Amino acid sequence: MKRVLPVTNAIIAIVSGVIVLLGYFFPGAFQGIQSVLVGWAIIIAAFALLLGIYNLAIVHWKKVGAEGQGNLYSVVLLVSLIITIVVVGFSGPTGSWSLWVFNTFQVPIEVSLLAVLAVVLAYAGARLFSRKPKWHTILFLVTVLLVLLGSVPLFLIGEIAPLSALRGWLSQVPAVAGARGLLLGVALGTVATGIRILIGVDRPYGG
Amino acid sequence: MEQVLSTPTDFLTFVFVLVCLGLILFFIYFGRKRPLFNLRDIPAFRHFRREVDLAVEAGKRLHISIGRGSVNDLPGGAAFIGLTILDRCARAASNSDRPPMSTTGDGVLTILGQDTLRSTYRSLATEQRYDPTNVRLTGLTPLSYAAGAMPTIREEQITANIYAGHFGTEIALLTEAGERSQSLTVAGTDNIPAQAVIYATANEPLLGEELYAAGAYLGAGPAHTASLTMQDIMRWLLVAVIVVGAILKLLGILS
Repeated sequence: MKRVLPVTNAIIAIVSGVIVLLGYFFPGAFQGIQSVLVGWAIIIAAFALLLGIYNLAIVHWKKVGAEGQGNLYSVVLLVSLIITIVVVGFSGPTGSWSLWVFNTFQVPIEVSLLAVLAVVLAYAGARLFSRKPKWHTILFLVTVLLVLLGSVPLFLIGEIAPLSALRGWLSQVPAVAGARGLLLGVALGTVATGIRILIGVDRPYGG
Repeated sequence: MEQVLSTPTDFLTFVFVLVCLGLILFFIYFGRKRPLFNLRDIPAFRHFRREVDLAVEAGKRLHISIGRGSVNDLPGGAAFIGLTILDRCARAASNSDRPPMSTTGDGVLTILGQDTLRSTYRSLATEQRYDPTNVRLTGLTPLSYAAGAMPTIREEQITANIYAGHFGTEIALLTEAGERSQSLTVAGTDNIPAQAVIYATANEPLLGEELYAAGAYLGAGPAHTASLTMQDIMRWLLVAVIVVGAILKLLGILS
């Protein structure tokens, strides 16, 4: 059984993957079955989400039992999880109590983290020069500075037209060209990864 | 007649996929005994391999973050690379007292990560080492995922972090946590704005297609080396097509 199951998994995964791919090229022949398979995938993903939340709860339950500084945070997480499940269970996903929980706790905490993220990025930019003192680091930092200065009106000076024009050129010509080059590499990498999975060389499903 | 390829673009895409498949199979077949091309040096992978060895010797842990990309969508490609790296790290650290651990921001990736670890340990006949809580879902939104993964980096005696998957700019919080715990951070993603952040914040950034070369550089098998060769060939082909297209447009031959 231990040998049969991985092979069966691989056959199911490869056949499903090939059918979904062919559905894009030969819609008349494969689109019906492609839609069914994608629909199943969405349902399975929803169950996977529940298992993921179970995993989160188990990890923090174990932390509560262990000695350490993070116990209190784990207790807060577990209590919040239970309260949220109860509230959303009774009120519904778009009910007033559910939205209250979301708007009162989730949104302010995430906005605070965004503010921390802005500070972290500014600090990382400043630290970059001391860590990687190379010509492309200088180019990176000068470009960031020019784009920032060209994006906002400056204190007591207002908007500087040449800087705004330079910002426009930087973000529309070199930045787009570079991004397209990177995207080309990412797209080819994604195709290669997909093909490896379709031919059964990579089996991230226990095959 | 919807059963045939509906547009010229569909036809070209179909041919493109077939050519990629053909090249991969060709290089797998002819590169079985020894690789046809040498891999160029990517310092990030060289440093990471060294950190893996050090982690095994020092009894410390590796942290592999596979991001929050859904496998039902394009970001899934980067997440699968993260799973390959998780497999390689689990194999490399099979003698270590502390097995590698992984964090994700997606339910499906959590299960795939657990399955990857279980398969790896099964193939090494060390199934008793498998612990499902070594792969953790830390949050379902970008920032909650980062907030949940940060304490893991601090508390688990991590010696090296590799972030391989789909991330947004929130990856700065994760790389900063790695920096504070004085552990190596190697990071690669498919998201362009996040790549700029990685360049500024990670010890060893993986830009563009470098992330997708991870399997070949970490010794995941001839198929990974073959697909990397295919990527190089197709990239030069696409560059040639773009340059020729631009010249033809400049000359007014293409509208």
